[in-house]
Amino acid sequence: MNHLHAVEAGAPTAGLRIRGLSHRYGLTEVLAGIDLDLAPGETLALIGPSGCGKSTLLHLVAGLLVPSEGTLANGFRRIGCMFQQPRLLPWKSTLDNIALGLKARGEARADRRERAAAMARWLGLTDEDMAKFPHALSGGMQSRVALGRALVVAPDLLLLDEPFSALDVGLKAELYGLLRARVAEVGSAVLMITHDLMEAVRLADRILMMAPGPGRLVRSFTLSQPQAVRSEAWIYRTAGELMEAEEVRLGFGLADARPANGWPAAAGGR
Amino acid sequence: MRSLSRAPAAVLAYLWSGWGAIASLCLFAALWQAGAQVYGPLVLPGPGDTFATLSGMLAGSTAIPELLVSARRAMVGLALAVAVGSVLGLVAGLSLTASMVSRPLVTLFLGMPPIAWVVLAMLWFGMGDASVVFTVVVACTPIVFAGALQGTRTLDHQLKDLGRVYRLPWHMTLLDLYVPHVVSYLFPAWITALGTSWKVVVMAELLTAPDGVGAALAVSRSHLDTAASMGWIVAVLGLLLAVEYLLLEPFRREVERWRVTA
Repeated sequence: MNHLHAVEAGAPTAGLRIRGLSHRYGLTEVLAGIDLDLAPGETLALIGPSGCGKSTLLHLVAGLLVPSEGTLANGFRRIGCMFQQPRLLPWKSTLDNIALGLKARGEARADRRERAAAMARWLGLTDEDMAKFPHALSGGMQSRVALGRALVVAPDLLLLDEPFSALDVGLKAELYGLLRARVAEVGSAVLMITHDLMEAVRLADRILMMAPGPGRLVRSFTLSQPQAVRSEAWIYRTAGELMEAEEVRLGFGLADARPANGWPAAAGGR
Repeated sequence: MRSLSRAPAAVLAYLWSGWGAIASLCLFAALWQAGAQVYGPLVLPGPGDTFATLSGMLAGSTAIPELLVSARRAMVGLALAVAVGSVLGLVAGLSLTASMVSRPLVTLFLGMPPIAWVVLAMLWFGMGDASVVFTVVVACTPIVFAGALQGTRTLDHQLKDLGRVYRLPWHMTLLDLYVPHVVSYLFPAWITALGTSWKVVVMAELLTAPDGVGAALAVSRSHLDTAASMGWIVAVLGLLLAVEYLLLEPFRREVERWRVTA
């Protein structure tokens, strides 16, 4: 229940609403003054250098940590999550790993295995793969299984903690496609962490730039073009333009921040 | 269905893996025979004499009841120790405070010589069943407890987080997350406890019980019957090996199928 920590009085919030949130590990302040809203169905990307508190923020939203200060009202009920590593349970078969969230929701064994099997086939896993234990699967296969486990619960909030960072280009593109199709179908809100600008531009409706010491949100970019019509050329161009933004250059420790000269029509500043 | 079609192959593979064990036992018997030829049958009867005596004992009506009495005591004590130690160890492992409090106590109880427990048990429960079973329980529980505690403490925190994010209810957290991991720490502990249970049973019976293998050993010692003593020892060891390799080890293999096989 700690994900409902400090919920404001009144009707339950739809979506996620964070106000004045700070977090400390011991005496070290890792997040300060975070205000963030995530509407149902929206995809929000958090970008920033290592150590800027992105993961901490995601853990707070996931309910794994309780904020030191501020309010975090989470109105989402079905949460799917992908971590940096697949984190499959080594003692469960592929199929039972995918069905984990369904089992936690109390679905009957036959139902959940049927739904998990349908999800596994949709992800390109064979019946033989479904019976295997994780140690017998390749890294890419394990990522597919972790994606299936997150998507099969039809999440209203999907948390992605850089799950694709270690995958090759082709597999990444395939998993992006599967992810986007399912997110559009279910209408999930997505909160994703990445330090890959291209990935953020490809998948997000809105991008928040974070800076370290202590972690805070320094800039918000809204991507107006709908995901379905984004071309590779547009993605490259927009990512390039974001790289020109002063906050992004400072945040990632690139050479002297150049003044932002003219924002593209696609990416509007706050 | 899959597990049924897998069973015969698994049994065959298991039996085949027994050749190594048999070779090692034969080597031991050869060394034993060499010792017997050096020291003579009064001090160290050879394996041939011992097994002849043992089969004589088994054919007569005396040995089987004694073995059954000892086996019952060892198994009852072991079952209690396994149940109590596994559950308490797991529960203690879930709490940092409880594990810190229990660690020195485990050291204390593991260090306590079983013979001291036998003396206390004689004072508390008198001669007979209760004393022997009690001694087995107190000698074995800390071993199992330590295994369960260690297993619970070492569950990967990433998997714990996974369980919390997917809101696993408590019974799933226990059965799908903790138990499969803890079991791989429990099995070695159970096998150690099994060995301890037989050692302690024989020792406790020697001092406190009118029946059982320990009592029979006391009798054969008073008759200076080395061959019979060796026969009893071999019988106990045989039972020990049977329980481990016919019961615990196949069970472990089935439960730990998910492990990477070399």
